[in-house]
Amino acid sequence: MIELAPNHKFGLPIATPVMPAAGAFGYGDEYHDLVDYRCLGALVTHPISLHPRRAAHPPRIILRGETLLIHTGHPNPGLNAILRQFRELWARLGLPVILHVLAANPAEMVEVVDKLAGETAIHGIELGLDEHTSVEKALALLRSIRLNSDFPVIVRLPFSGVATLAQPLAEAGVDALTLTSPPRGVLPLPEASGDGSPPLMRGRLYGPALFPLLLHQLHTWIPRLPVPVIACGGISSTADARACLALGASAVQLDAVVWRHPDLLATIAKELAYDAGNTAL
Amino acid sequence: MSKHTTAIFCEAHPEPPFWRVQFETLNLPRPGCFLLADFGGPLREVLFPAGLSAGGFSVLVPPGHPVQRLLPGETVDLLGPFGRGFQTEQVERLLLVAEAHLLPPLLPLLEAAPMVTLVLAAPTRALLPPARRFPPSVELHLITQDGSVGYAGTLETCHGADSPLLEAVQWADRICASCDSAFYPKLARIVRQQRLNPPANFAQALIQIAMPCGVGACEVCRVQTVNGERRACTDGPVFDVLDFGL
Repeated sequence: MIELAPNHKFGLPIATPVMPAAGAFGYGDEYHDLVDYRCLGALVTHPISLHPRRAAHPPRIILRGETLLIHTGHPNPGLNAILRQFRELWARLGLPVILHVLAANPAEMVEVVDKLAGETAIHGIELGLDEHTSVEKALALLRSIRLNSDFPVIVRLPFSGVATLAQPLAEAGVDALTLTSPPRGVLPLPEASGDGSPPLMRGRLYGPALFPLLLHQLHTWIPRLPVPVIACGGISSTADARACLALGASAVQLDAVVWRHPDLLATIAKELAYDAGNTAL
Repeated sequence: MSKHTTAIFCEAHPEPPFWRVQFETLNLPRPGCFLLADFGGPLREVLFPAGLSAGGFSVLVPPGHPVQRLLPGETVDLLGPFGRGFQTEQVERLLLVAEAHLLPPLLPLLEAAPMVTLVLAAPTRALLPPARRFPPSVELHLITQDGSVGYAGTLETCHGADSPLLEAVQWADRICASCDSAFYPKLARIVRQQRLNPPANFAQALIQIAMPCGVGACEVCRVQTVNGERRACTDGPVFDVLDFGL
């Protein structure tokens, strides 16, 4: 077992170091026809907010070479609806469920964790922070979870905020950090005409081009951080996962590549297990 | 694991303005459902069947599509079929409504009912497929924006007294449409005007948008309906057209 929260009183043990990233895998059973869930270390849910969120206006995706620019607006029906719909499924899944939470402020975060009280099917919270999150706000969000719940807390850091947020959060007692959420980017819309400035789409970047950036972040920050680090961004093969683990990551999250190769989650988990001498998977 | 399969590429030949590409596979999608094919790009390509046979299916793709790089006998990695397709069971008079560039997913329905009428729109005659491509039993009504053939106008403006669309909506006992989604609220209004209390799924509309995952995980394909947001890949891609307009 791999322990993602070694300093937490309950811990957050996972059987394999491979899991889907928030936003790539839905809420639970979307991939039941395509993925062997027994190979997953944990289920990380789609981002969930206290109140319902609507989708961003289309277009929501642009391809540029191997890179995807995506802006969905993290639509979701809100925490109450999600819990009603999925808590029984999560209890049956047989693997840790990590709720990826979006919260605008500490008060909202307190409401979220209040609603999660007694939810035995949830094993941890991954807090998603955006690029504009200050250190003070990040610490306040973490404190609002800590003071109001017993869940292990992972924070997914924004790509541009690792340098400012990672160490303060680690010192404040976060259980683990996910490095990183996809960086933001801007592209002109493909159907834009040549007159004037073209309309632009803003969003998050996905694709294998991000992998060297991820390795740079891991190489820079893992030696300085006293908490487990989960690697996320551009991982698209077992070799990529091995490179992250070799740099000290405790686990890896796969994002948009899952849509093209859902079976890659199980393939990587099995090959990493084989590396470790475990042929039971 | 039933949704992960392969197909064998058989052949491709030009069928202007498309190329028709034939695959052999056992896992056949029903009309309106889709497959996600891996042609090597960062995302899988959405394939709607344009023809169905016992051992396979064909698709119509634009020139330059990556499928044209395949060699006969090569296997293609597929996910699916996904989605909710057209429901045309026990239909006598089927009306198909399409813009020419979005027509392919409707082609498997050309012989799905004893009487089929196709209302087909394009900017100009040159962008319409030749009439000989369609079975003789299909009644064809053409609409061109420049009036080069058939009714002069667009689907959006096709609501005069002599409109082939209004008459066909009155005639049909099922409508299947594949158009720009901006047209569907208008089609919903026409259906409500022409039919008293239309039953659910009397008129069905196919949404063709990016569907990266096919299973409702990525949230890219959300569409706005009168019942709130829905995912095209799992709640559709075929919707009741009345979902798009009160």
